[in-house]
Amino acid sequence: MSTATIDTALLERAVARLPGDSLARARKEALARFATTGFPTTRHEDWRYTNLTPAIDVSNAWLRRTATGALEEGSDESVRRYAERLTAQINAWWIVITNGVVQEESLMRLREQAPGTLEARSMASAGDAEPVGYSSIAADEPMTRFNTALLRDALHLTVRAGSELEKPIGLLMIDTANSASAVSQSRVSIEMQPNSRAEFIEYHASLGENVHFANVVTELHVGSGAAVDFVRIQDRDTSHLQVGRLDAAMGRDSSLRHAAFDLGGALIRNDVAVDIAERGVSVELLGLYLAAGQQHIDNHTRADHRTGPAASSEEYRGILTDRSRCVFNGKAIVHKGADGTDAQQANHNLLLSDKAEIDTKPELEIYADDVKCSHGATVGQLDKTAMFYLRSRGLSRDEAAQVLTRAFAAGIIAKSPVHAARSHIEGLVDRRLQVLVGDAL
Amino acid sequence: MLEIKNLKARIGDTEILTGLTLTVKPGEVHAIMGPNGSGKSTLALVVAGHEDYVVTEGSVTYMGEDLLGLDPEERARIGVFLGFQYPVEIAGVNNAYLLKAALNAKRRAQGEPEVDAFEFLKLAREKMKLLDMDQALLNRGVNEGFSGGEKKRNEILQMAVLEPRLAILDETDSGLDIDALKAVAKGVNSLRDAERAIVLVTHYQRLLDYVEPDYVHVLSGGRIVRSGDKSLAHMLEEKGYDWVREAASA
Repeated sequence: MSTATIDTALLERAVARLPGDSLARARKEALARFATTGFPTTRHEDWRYTNLTPAIDVSNAWLRRTATGALEEGSDESVRRYAERLTAQINAWWIVITNGVVQEESLMRLREQAPGTLEARSMASAGDAEPVGYSSIAADEPMTRFNTALLRDALHLTVRAGSELEKPIGLLMIDTANSASAVSQSRVSIEMQPNSRAEFIEYHASLGENVHFANVVTELHVGSGAAVDFVRIQDRDTSHLQVGRLDAAMGRDSSLRHAAFDLGGALIRNDVAVDIAERGVSVELLGLYLAAGQQHIDNHTRADHRTGPAASSEEYRGILTDRSRCVFNGKAIVHKGADGTDAQQANHNLLLSDKAEIDTKPELEIYADDVKCSHGATVGQLDKTAMFYLRSRGLSRDEAAQVLTRAFAAGIIAKSPVHAARSHIEGLVDRRLQVLVGDAL
Repeated sequence: MLEIKNLKARIGDTEILTGLTLTVKPGEVHAIMGPNGSGKSTLALVVAGHEDYVVTEGSVTYMGEDLLGLDPEERARIGVFLGFQYPVEIAGVNNAYLLKAALNAKRRAQGEPEVDAFEFLKLAREKMKLLDMDQALLNRGVNEGFSGGEKKRNEILQMAVLEPRLAILDETDSGLDIDALKAVAKGVNSLRDAERAIVLVTHYQRLLDYVEPDYVHVLSGGRIVRSGDKSLAHMLEEKGYDWVREAASA
């Protein structure tokens, strides 16, 4: 039977065994605060549809081993092969983070290749100096506390003022659960100095026969006039779990274009939270989730408009089949005084099976007067008329369904930033859709 | 080529075709005329395999094969083509992509090698020129934002590229201005040969001035009530459909 809470005594012992003491205090503080809440439960409005019990079970099993014996797995041959294959496919400066630990080798390569306007440091390589990269906008979130309490490493990136990076920065977060189920905490913080421009690819992958639970915390400080293009690609094993979040603090006249692609995972929860406290900000959030089998994919987004004029727009699309379940919750909060806000939200879903379920809720909370806001959600099936039209032209039922689902997905891919990742994403989506359509028909 | 015998079909609880018989031989052009609601479009959709229609009696044989036992895509691959009265807009699916996929699906089924991108473009451009079509339409979404005339020309383009043996054009002439009508007629006439049959479903005889039919049939109440040559179309134009209804019930 599942106890459904983290065993705090085991957690304390595991935390005490972690190497390096520059972070010891931060871990201890986070641990104490985490202990007061534990993991969020379905009693919390924001977690109503997503039950983290499987992640708690994996965590307890892992803590039991960690508290008493060996630390988690390191990088191995399978990781090296995966990283090699991926980095050959997408032209970017790659940093590999394996089971939460920044791979020093990839950092060294980055320093050789990337210009000096990009600074990359890992907490481990910073040695006894002031620890970097773990401070967090979302420090009060229980899952961030859990992340900090068990933090072994963190990556800190700085893009210097006025510079523009010519290639995207790839963050490959790859986890393994080869010998037993495992848990990892990944942590990245990015500082975009004023008027800098850069593209990022955050890539989630996991390998191994056993269940893995990844807890990822990424934060973006976008300076005034800076522009960030960001794609997150989640292609985990369909038996693995993830809770991840991105928090972005936007400076004056800055912009963020973000696209999230969820293809794998058994239980996935993503949060994207954008804080707009300065004028002239523009934010675009895009997302595509594809779910089959018993996959559960939950996307929560939040845009806090504290001042205006500023614009946020959001479009997420999902294709679901079998008994999969997806959640979309997009919230835009227009605070008092945020006049001149333009906030748009849309969520569209295609259900290929009558057993699949989507819970969608675009939300607007408006406390200002002069605003332009809209939201909408749709849930539908494959268009029967279009199916007949395509079949009457000689396409099989399977081909016709693939053409239509691909077109639906292409609506997001075509708008997605970071051109270098485009064809890779198209390939992943095509392959996944073949599985979804094959299951559905 | 096409042998329809005593065909009865319904959608939901409504019987639309009530015992329709029609024989079409290779090389022939037939016009099916009739008032609204007489079953013209239903006939076209049943032959193409629309699943909302249930055939309750009768048979449809094409080149000796029972057409009713085949899926819509199988019918298409053995050379049956339906030009839609309302061509479907499919956002995000490239027009050229669909055209090429359709052509290659047919070629695969017939054991022919697929055409590559270069051969395909050459063929598509040639046919578009014949139909006086804007080449830019090739790279748009299928019928996405097309005008009424562009949609109908696009149907004829698909027909011209797929070169079916039996083409059924469901009110392809409706809503066309005279230039578009002439272009569509040109496309249809270019396909006329001794091996192919064309069935024109139409409400007006206007198209028949440009595509001369060998036979004209009048459909009323779900079956053919009168057949003749092209002079029948002119008679209808003059006297209206009431004349047929009266003749049928007399």
